Amino acid sequence: RADCAGVCPFVEDSFSRFSSQSNMYCLSAFPTATGGQDLLAATLKGKVICLRYQDLRQKIRPVAKEVQFTYIPVDAEIVSIDTFNKSLPKGGLVVGITFIKDLGDKASPFLNIYCDYEPGSEYNLDSIAQSCLNLELQFTPFQLYHTEVQDYGRSETVFLLGGNDQNIHLYKENELLHQFEEQPIENLFPELKALPSNVLWMDVVNIPNSCRRLTAFGCHSGFVGISHVDQNKKAILQSWNIQQDGPISTVRVFSLYAFPTKTDEHQLEDFNLLVTSTIELSVIYRDVLKYGLSDQLILPETDRYDSVLCALVADIDFDGMSELLLGTYGQELLCYKFRETEGEFQLVWKRCFQSPLLSMAYVDLTYDGLCELAVISLKGLHILQYSLTKMAELVLERLRHKVALLEKKKADSTVKSDSAMSFDVASSPD
Amino acid sequence: MRSLSYVQRVGLEFSGSLFPRAVCLGDADNDSLNELVVGDTNGKLYVYKNDDSKPCVVRSCLGMVTCVAVGDLCNKGKNVVLAVSAEGWFHLFDLTAATTGKSDSSSHHELLLGDEPKLSFTQHVPANTKTILINDIDGDGKCELVVGYTDRVVRAFRWEDCSENFDGISGQLILLKKWLLEGQVDSLSMNPGPDGIPELMVSQPGCGYAILLCTWKHDSHQVWTEEARKSEKGKKKKSNIGPVRDVILHQTSGRIHNKNVSTHLLGSISRGSSDESSKSGLFALCTLDGTLKLMDGSDTLLWSVQVDHQLFALEKLDVTGDGREEVVACAWDGQTYIIDHDRSVVRFQVDENVNAFCAGLYACKGGRNSPCLVYVSFNHKIYVYWKVGLERMESTNLSNLLEAKEEFRDLVQRLGVDANDRKAVRELLHRTLYFPDGHQEDPTS
Repeated sequence: RADCAGVCPFVEDSFSRFSSQSNMYCLSAFPTATGGQDLLAATLKGKVICLRYQDLRQKIRPVAKEVQFTYIPVDAEIVSIDTFNKSLPKGGLVVGITFIKDLGDKASPFLNIYCDYEPGSEYNLDSIAQSCLNLELQFTPFQLYHTEVQDYGRSETVFLLGGNDQNIHLYKENELLHQFEEQPIENLFPELKALPSNVLWMDVVNIPNSCRRLTAFGCHSGFVGISHVDQNKKAILQSWNIQQDGPISTVRVFSLYAFPTKTDEHQLEDFNLLVTSTIELSVIYRDVLKYGLSDQLILPETDRYDSVLCALVADIDFDGMSELLLGTYGQELLCYKFRETEGEFQLVWKRCFQSPLLSMAYVDLTYDGLCELAVISLKGLHILQYSLTKMAELVLERLRHKVALLEKKKADSTVKSDSAMSFDVASSPD
Repeated sequence: MRSLSYVQRVGLEFSGSLFPRAVCLGDADNDSLNELVVGDTNGKLYVYKNDDSKPCVVRSCLGMVTCVAVGDLCNKGKNVVLAVSAEGWFHLFDLTAATTGKSDSSSHHELLLGDEPKLSFTQHVPANTKTILINDIDGDGKCELVVGYTDRVVRAFRWEDCSENFDGISGQLILLKKWLLEGQVDSLSMNPGPDGIPELMVSQPGCGYAILLCTWKHDSHQVWTEEARKSEKGKKKKSNIGPVRDVILHQTSGRIHNKNVSTHLLGSISRGSSDESSKSGLFALCTLDGTLKLMDGSDTLLWSVQVDHQLFALEKLDVTGDGREEVVACAWDGQTYIIDHDRSVVRFQVDENVNAFCAGLYACKGGRNSPCLVYVSFNHKIYVYWKVGLERMESTNLSNLLEAKEEFRDLVQRLGVDANDRKAVRELLHRTLYFPDGHQEDPTS
């Protein structure tokens, strides 16, 4: 067992306590008009909190404010929240919130979609929160997810919503009516038809420079499926599945390379599947397009801290390779790194929290180009920031290197032109 | 208000109940590392060392221990541990060898009174003790003991040592002076006065305080009477205590909701190296109805903060490591405020009611002193948060931090980016961190 000697590079910058608990579907980051990112976090007792960093010249201040989304009854229990920006050229923020309203004898679930069509208000959260499309659901909602699809050559972002009816439901904007409506899932996602169990988590990755995508999902029954789909032909090219034990908490399709080089064809198509389980060890299926789900690597110690409930993939240590962050019910945040020489994932550091971890996002909240890690625990929202003193050193070191390269290049070119000049002079004796 | 959740803590076992002043941090065994000293209402004194959940030293005292302290009361260049009971039993322990000589902490031996007479001492002093302070209050270079009582009395004692030629503790406390105050005394503290000379301060109800004069100082007699006259003229207040004026009462400015509210005070808050121009000391006050104040001398209010929590303990702690000590106040419900000299606030909530609180340096982990917050809970645990240091009190981001650096502005300019263009700088930082050299387009081309 590898020793975890590394130190968590993050320090907590702020903690916002929630009045009621949240869940694993209740955190969503969205881009602001200025180019930064803000967070929306929903809590069980019907409250949606927007966390943003206010800019006060030389300092910044985290402000967690409740946003009053209309048409959410006071006794509603929020299940999931998701946000996206409409695909260009349309633009505009869309917020989806699913909740369950208790009507005494029966609970009725809803999906509210908020989106403002008024020019100038497309990104104004307060105004968006007031324009609601209210859809009653015939099933208990789970994860609300969005992804970009290619439909007749046009990009379009759609909502996907998992339900307890063993289906995933598709919501797409009807441009003529200016509203979202449910469409048959097979219209755009043939791979998500006829599912074997209720899907707890799905992840869709569009393969760059292609019209293909990878769609992965993990079920309550432990069933994991991943499909390679051609969007234009709406055809499933390949499909793999595997049965694991116990409910699957998350699946993530990711590339190990934070910036695959275009020269290396293999890097572009090297996708892995992270599957976190609530009772088993979490695993990685390496290079899915090549090996399907046959090349499995385990993430050591992931079963030691109770269920893994959330996971994300990001370049945490700025080396150009992706690391994996796993949040557990056992109050630990675990960071794994792929060691090419050993060919395995190793636990590089872990950090303890006050309460179980439910959800995470790695986004730039402070508008400085450096991402923060937002973590939802049972008690509230933690914003973890890199230790800035160390980050400043790293940036300066890299900039020095960059400047040195640039000036060397310049010097080389001037030397070249100088010698060319002298050659000219020498070659014209007359 | 910025809020944080500290995580790294150890839970020490403590099954008794205690008075709020019966907990302190200090180097009890003179190994240059601080220990945690706790006294309970059954007369037990516990000393905890590093992250060991069991006390490494247990001693028995007479009566209910109301306050403990660590300091060089005997003026022999080494710390002793003091425990004073409500009944007036004053106990003094020399624990220098007690923790180091014995590595087996599981069988912590318990010394009964008189077992080791050389290393402990007991004397009866007037009863109803509430708070104590070991410090040089009269400027003679030697430590005195100041005791605050529940009957609005403060007494100062001097340790008269008679252990000339043996290492044990032998001597007695001699009463130096008794002051009578108008209101309850919750805290005793030392703070440099306007001339830079430390003065003894006590808290008074309603966010007030009083300076107690050490009238036994013959040579400074002239000075303090002048002082008193000046103060009398300024404040138009008349003290009716005794024929010799030895208590100078001050009220702090601002609205006081309840003039009888319990008040704590803490002086000599370090300004750090930056500002040595001012001679007078920084001191803080807090009240049970949620007022927190930082004062620079008697007449400059640096800030005042009103919170919605019952503040019952006041401490100082340098959490940012810049030499400036932050004010730390704790409420009964576990809400803790850390406030710096510029009024930047960091809040932390312990999810438990707090019986007693202290903050300071404690060698919890790694064999070195680090800033710690210590909470005595009501359910048999003392929680020591041992990683409470912060890089800074206020949130900031990478670009703000870098923009202050000359080198950064220079490098950015040489890369052809305008250092004042926040969007461009942000993009440059993002590329530099997430897309290192060779994997990106040159921004200048």
